[in-house]
Amino acid sequence: MRNRLKVLRAERNWSQADLAERLDVSRQSVNAIETGKYDPSLPLAFKIARVFGLTIEQIFIEEQSAAEAAE
Amino acid sequence: MSCEYPESTKQAGRRYTRGMLLAGGPYMAFVALGVVVIRQMSPPQWLVIVLALLPVLPALLMLRTYLTFFRALDEFQRRVQAEAALITLGVVTIAAFGYGFLEAWAGFPHVPLIWAIPAVIVTWGVSTFFVRARYK
Repeated sequence: MRNRLKVLRAERNWSQADLAERLDVSRQSVNAIETGKYDPSLPLAFKIARVFGLTIEQIFIEEQSAAEAAE
Repeated sequence: MSCEYPESTKQAGRRYTRGMLLAGGPYMAFVALGVVVIRQMSPPQWLVIVLALLPVLPALLMLRTYLTFFRALDEFQRRVQAEAALITLGVVTIAAFGYGFLEAWAGFPHVPLIWAIPAVIVTWGVSTFFVRARYK
């Protein structure tokens, strides 16, 4: 699953540690989610969406949907 | 606002350290007591069995402390710990299994089961390092 975390974070001038603190998770967790190596649970995805004031779909993009959009 | 872990994890880490130290003291005391009593006083068999099992109590306390720590971690850190634990389970049991055959069939020297926990701790440390590196 792809995501826009890095871009959204940059728009707000937040470091990974800043976002981690807002989410009450470790910085490594944010890094792993951001690089697509770890997909968050639904509750954490909702929390991320709430922190950015967006919906989950506006942050996380399913690989299949991304491929279909590119075609 | 730059920190590696959230406050909740830091608190859990402090509780973990405190719990391990609290269990470590009795563990060392029980081992020392067992060694002294068994070697110097020739106690009856029932007492030897009791003394031999006493260090298991603080070891169980350490397990409980670790589980409490595990539950306090965030979901990604729990994933790392769980993967490391699974790798440790596989490596240690397969190594013990293989060495068991070497002992039985090839005459390799006997290794006491007391080495199981040190083997788990060392393997866990190494596997946690590699699992963490995999997610970087």
